[in-house]
Amino acid sequence: MLQTWLPYILAGIAVGGQYALIAIGYTMVYGILRLINFAHGDVFMWSGLIMVYLITVLPLWVSVILVIIFAIVLGTTIEKVAYRPLRSAPRMSIMISAIGVSYLLQNFALYITGGLTKTYPEIGFLQKTIKIGSATTKMVTVITPVLTIVLVFLLVMLIKHTKIGMAMRAVSRDFETSSLMGIDINRVITVTFVIGCGLAAIGSVLYFSNYTGINPMSGAMPGLKAFVAAVFGGIGSVPGAVVGAFVIGICENLIKGAGWTTFSDAFTFVLLIVILMVKPTGLFGEKNIDKV
Amino acid sequence: METTLNKKTKSVLSVAAIALFLVFVYLGDIMISPGSSWKMLITVIEKGSIYALVAASMNLLNGFTGLFSLGQAGFMLIGAYTYAIFTIPAASHDAVYQYFEGGAIKWSIVEALEGSLGVFGHYLGMLIPMLGAGLLVAVIAFLIGIPVLRLKSDYLAIATLGFAEILRAFFQWNTLGPVTNGSNVLRKYTTYGNAIFPVLISMLCIAIILLLINSTYGRAFRAIRDDEIAAEAMGINLFKHKEISFVISSFFAGISGALLAMFQTTINATPFNTVMTYEILLIVVIGGIGSITGSVIGAFLFTAASEWWLRGLDAGRWLGISASFMRPGFRKVVFAVLIMLIVLFYSRGIMGDKEFSWDRFISGLKNLPANLKAWPSRRKAKAAAKREARAANAAARSRAKEAKASNEARKASGEALFTPLEVSDTVIVFDKEGK
Amino acid sequence: MDNREVVLRLSDITMQFGGVVAVDNLNLVVHKNEIVGLIGPNGAGKTTAFNCITGVYEPTNGSVEINGKVVIENHPQGKMKEAYKGRNAGKYTKAITMLPDKVTKLGVARTFQNIRLFKGMTVLENVMVAMHMNQTESVFGATFRSKKARTEEAAMRAEAEELLRKVELFENRNDLATSLPYGKQRHLEIARALATHPSILLLDEPAAGMNPQESDDLMKFIGRIRDEFDLSILMIEHHMQVIMGICEHIYVLNYGGQIADGTPAEIQANPAVIEAYLGGDE
Repeated sequence: MLQTWLPYILAGIAVGGQYALIAIGYTMVYGILRLINFAHGDVFMWSGLIMVYLITVLPLWVSVILVIIFAIVLGTTIEKVAYRPLRSAPRMSIMISAIGVSYLLQNFALYITGGLTKTYPEIGFLQKTIKIGSATTKMVTVITPVLTIVLVFLLVMLIKHTKIGMAMRAVSRDFETSSLMGIDINRVITVTFVIGCGLAAIGSVLYFSNYTGINPMSGAMPGLKAFVAAVFGGIGSVPGAVVGAFVIGICENLIKGAGWTTFSDAFTFVLLIVILMVKPTGLFGEKNIDKV
Repeated sequence: METTLNKKTKSVLSVAAIALFLVFVYLGDIMISPGSSWKMLITVIEKGSIYALVAASMNLLNGFTGLFSLGQAGFMLIGAYTYAIFTIPAASHDAVYQYFEGGAIKWSIVEALEGSLGVFGHYLGMLIPMLGAGLLVAVIAFLIGIPVLRLKSDYLAIATLGFAEILRAFFQWNTLGPVTNGSNVLRKYTTYGNAIFPVLISMLCIAIILLLINSTYGRAFRAIRDDEIAAEAMGINLFKHKEISFVISSFFAGISGALLAMFQTTINATPFNTVMTYEILLIVVIGGIGSITGSVIGAFLFTAASEWWLRGLDAGRWLGISASFMRPGFRKVVFAVLIMLIVLFYSRGIMGDKEFSWDRFISGLKNLPANLKAWPSRRKAKAAAKREARAANAAARSRAKEAKASNEARKASGEALFTPLEVSDTVIVFDKEGK
Repeated sequence: MDNREVVLRLSDITMQFGGVVAVDNLNLVVHKNEIVGLIGPNGAGKTTAFNCITGVYEPTNGSVEINGKVVIENHPQGKMKEAYKGRNAGKYTKAITMLPDKVTKLGVARTFQNIRLFKGMTVLENVMVAMHMNQTESVFGATFRSKKARTEEAAMRAEAEELLRKVELFENRNDLATSLPYGKQRHLEIARALATHPSILLLDEPAAGMNPQESDDLMKFIGRIRDEFDLSILMIEHHMQVIMGICEHIYVLNYGGQIADGTPAEIQANPAVIEAYLGGDE
């Protein structure tokens, strides 16, 4: 019994970790700006794409670092150019701007790649096979959850114990008041994007090394799933997003294991609908009372 | 200055304009030879009118009810498939469903009605599956709406976007192959003969949307958009009215899907993805959120630009400029940049939230020369205002810097500036212990 | 004491958010055609009480009775059971909730402290929206302008115009609601509430931001609409001049709790009230 399911569970944990790294970006940005950053999945896709180009001329570790830097620069630029000017505009405008950015990033990728699927480079040590119990799996399966947990732990420490973390918590609680209290809102938001995009870039290295190819639409589905994970965990909550991502990753792979591959994606959205019906604030979310 | 025409004159003008347009489309489609570059105009009108309908339906939700829905492509997909599946002639089934032994449905509504009713039956046979497509989509939207419309609008965006993605997978599922043809294209279904068909249907549907918006229900929708809490306090059942708007919007998205299927002559689920929804949304934005006229204008501009005016950007030659970076895909990049510029600097779109009116049109024409003349001085005034604002900003920045410096000094002298928050006081927290 | 029929009765209404008790055991009665005032310093829980009556919030404990029928009732449940700090926890057993639109249909209309007009709509449309709930035509009929829809629309328009005449806003009927001067926006909000055909009107600081002359006019206006529309009125107000001049009965809240109630004269002489407003000795 376990023997047949173990590989799927392992794969699920790995994918879950990758979703978690993307989901953190969504949940933090939503927590602070109340914005669904539709472009986040495309930043993730672009990180993968840049890796494809960089690895041809640079050694692996340099490429990975450059990819992370690239994602951070891209993410913060998007925030500066497309979100910051609209901060006082109606909330729908800023979401539309996010969609516009997503559209631009996808079309630009389409132009660069010529619409072709690019082969993602093989990263030697991630692909190494190892045995866990009865199952044989790749190194990436083991590294992902461990790395995810370590990064999340560091992030939580940052949020809890540093000054900028405190500022982030304050801003997520009350945007207006915290700016009146002398917190540099722009800096907090920039840091949020830096963290979110950096983690998404790391996630992209782990995620795409599982797949052979990458194309301009590769970011859409993992992005959506990561967002659902964030909603599932209670949007605004980092640990919630991580738990949500693991749940989605594991369930999705179990469904694949049961032979229902077509519906492994659909499951995510069924889960979304169910959680919204049962507990709209998500697993760890707090009830927000609108002032009247 | 203000020119007001009487109601009768306006109606006559409107009817005349519409009739003229329809005649132009009808004759244009017949008379312009397929090779001519002006044929492109007819194609743009066809496709533009289909997009105008779906954009108007999205505007009903986003612009008039304040619901941020992103399921339009998914709903079009259902509409397109429903129409196509029921109008493939019996004789073509074997060829179309070649991998599924001729498919499960062996008949066509068009043929069934043509047999007994002739030409009238032919068109009835097209209208019935089209209406059926709309109704099916409406029912599905109703079901999605039950859990999702009770929540904040953000969740609606994600749920509808996700639902559209599921649909694509579902329609390409091999098990459903005998009906949907799996991942293969559907083709050979009945399409229209003249471009006037989609134009007329779209016009009719958009007219219905306009009537709805100007009815008491439309007023309730706009109240919800402006202020949900106040609307509810005025006795408007939020859920019920959101459902109504969502279902009707989806119905028309389904119809436009059916029209798109006819326009394309073959369909496949793949292109009905998020990009398509984004494009529809961007049309609404270009035209102006909250203006149906805007959506129509936006749709025509969008189609004209992407199908016609910017084509050269993909082919390496545009407006006499040729460059090697103009290769396939470049058009869409330019396009996306243009749209971002509109979103950022011209967010009201072409029409804002105003609709077309003859009065405004005529006074606009009359004032055009004066406005043109005044343009340079207006621009100068604008630039001056901008300079002033920039100076004020700089002053504010320097003040902020001073304040910061004084804060730093106070901090250095050991004064507490604000009391730290409790860990448990926050939304972003790791554990909930102690809560 | 008062033989008039009771139209609104709050019994032991308590509203607790997390650990904060915003309204603590409020008992309040409004009789037919009475004008009742609800006063108290900022943050005393007055608006929260309004929100409990109109279904915006579910009270944590207590019940709301409208025209003799209990329409909202609650008791501490789930996590709140342990966290509950209020009184009378065991007194109520049922959990009846009601959405704001249903409360309005029962004849309770309200205005808002921070004026909430429909920004994108004209003055006339703002009033007509409030009549939407009383029209009976389906969407289909309304869209295709059935005879019934046209009759109802015409009736709505006529009534709305009549209402606007009464509040002296007829001249502005085609202006955008938000383009009106502040005082007129307040009047429009009241007119909009009246358009729902209420029997009870809740006014949340109607005189806020008004000068003495304007608040004097408003006071007369409120008295006039009470008679003309046969209303019972519960109002929150800070302007003592308005409250003392028009209310027959006044309730005073402080820190969520009810510290006094009585006639204006009684309230003015009440030491607890004076202390709440002026701050007592430490």
